[in-house]
Amino acid sequence: MPVGSLIHDLWIASIALQCLLAVILLAKRSWRKHPMFAAYVFFNLLQTTIMLSGHWVPTAFFYTFWTCEAISIVLGLAVVREIFTNIFAPHAALRKLATIIFRVAVVALIVLACGAIYEQSLSAKTIARVVVVATDGTRIVELGLIMFLFLSSSAFGLHWRQNEFGIALGLGTCAAVELINVTLMTHMSPGGGEVLSLVRSLSFNGSLLIWLGYLLAPPERPTTPVDVPKAQLEQWNQAVMELINR
Amino acid sequence: MITVIVIALALCAVVLFYMAVRSRRKHAVQSLRQVDLAAFHTLLDRDDELFLKRKLSRSKFVGIKRHRIRVTVRYVARIASNASTVLHASEGARLSPMPEVASTAAQVMDLAAQIRLQCLLAMFKLSLEYAIPSLQLTPAMLVPAYQTLRENVRRLGDLQTQNSVPLANAI
Repeated sequence: MPVGSLIHDLWIASIALQCLLAVILLAKRSWRKHPMFAAYVFFNLLQTTIMLSGHWVPTAFFYTFWTCEAISIVLGLAVVREIFTNIFAPHAALRKLATIIFRVAVVALIVLACGAIYEQSLSAKTIARVVVVATDGTRIVELGLIMFLFLSSSAFGLHWRQNEFGIALGLGTCAAVELINVTLMTHMSPGGGEVLSLVRSLSFNGSLLIWLGYLLAPPERPTTPVDVPKAQLEQWNQAVMELINR
Repeated sequence: MITVIVIALALCAVVLFYMAVRSRRKHAVQSLRQVDLAAFHTLLDRDDELFLKRKLSRSKFVGIKRHRIRVTVRYVARIASNASTVLHASEGARLSPMPEVASTAAQVMDLAAQIRLQCLLAMFKLSLEYAIPSLQLTPAMLVPAYQTLRENVRRLGDLQTQNSVPLANAI
């Protein structure tokens, strides 16, 4: 099967999955808990519908596509902020410190993004290339912030709610593949570019499946504490005491 | 150069997500593990360390000190894990319609969060001591905070008639 045809099939599949996701968000009223994520999903669906409709003049297509991409990235960042707020909302003691670290991370990522934009902009001759370079920079910030969410929640020992974990995981996977895609785009031959587009389509469909999976999964059961066998603890204690008294 | 950093960042992210999924599956069966605070105190005792330093050769002392640090790290990790379990377990109680239960749960959560922060600090200090064994940095402030957490969880257990009493006993 030619790669172009496979990409087209994946695009059709992504429309079906986005429609299903939108229906589930509405049916389960998840948009109330995650308004930014809902806006992100609905906007992506709208973007796909716009791109599908009619025959486009290449210039109009270019500007419409990249404007939609810019809005999508901004919404993606808003989703990250929404997850951050939800995770730390019940933990007043951690929120202040986490917010400071979050801001530091934003600044550090913007510096890295600026570095990437500067390095690549030297070779950017066309407006298309400039747009790609700018996208690269914003993707760095988006992915870095999602990584920050996972690292900070792990360091602080916070429990992710099922939906939030799914949203962050799907968004993160999509952003990581997108970042690799945008970064390698200029270094690839036309054949390689097609493969990258295929990987991009696959990752977007994968993210949609992740979101659907986590939204449709049954709610988590409360955890029940399990005791460690006493004998094992005693052995461990004894070993420590031996070490100390040696 | 930046391109390499960006690709590395993206690949690190993929690995991080994979580890997060695995860790989440593991933590689905979250357990509390007992912490022997007396033993922990002993491990933190500087007099013991000074005694070892006087009696042993430098190389042997460095080896033993690093061994002690590794054990201490396990204790700290256990306390951190228990604090995380308490954080998760108290979330439901925080939303209780009974104001006293909700308030105590909020206090417990705050304290557990503080312990997590102190554990991070303790891990950092222990890492420094592991790298430079002649350093003497003790995460001693951790013990009183953990004992207060135990007392608060017990209070929460007294307020709630179910589930929380075994929780307090377990930690």
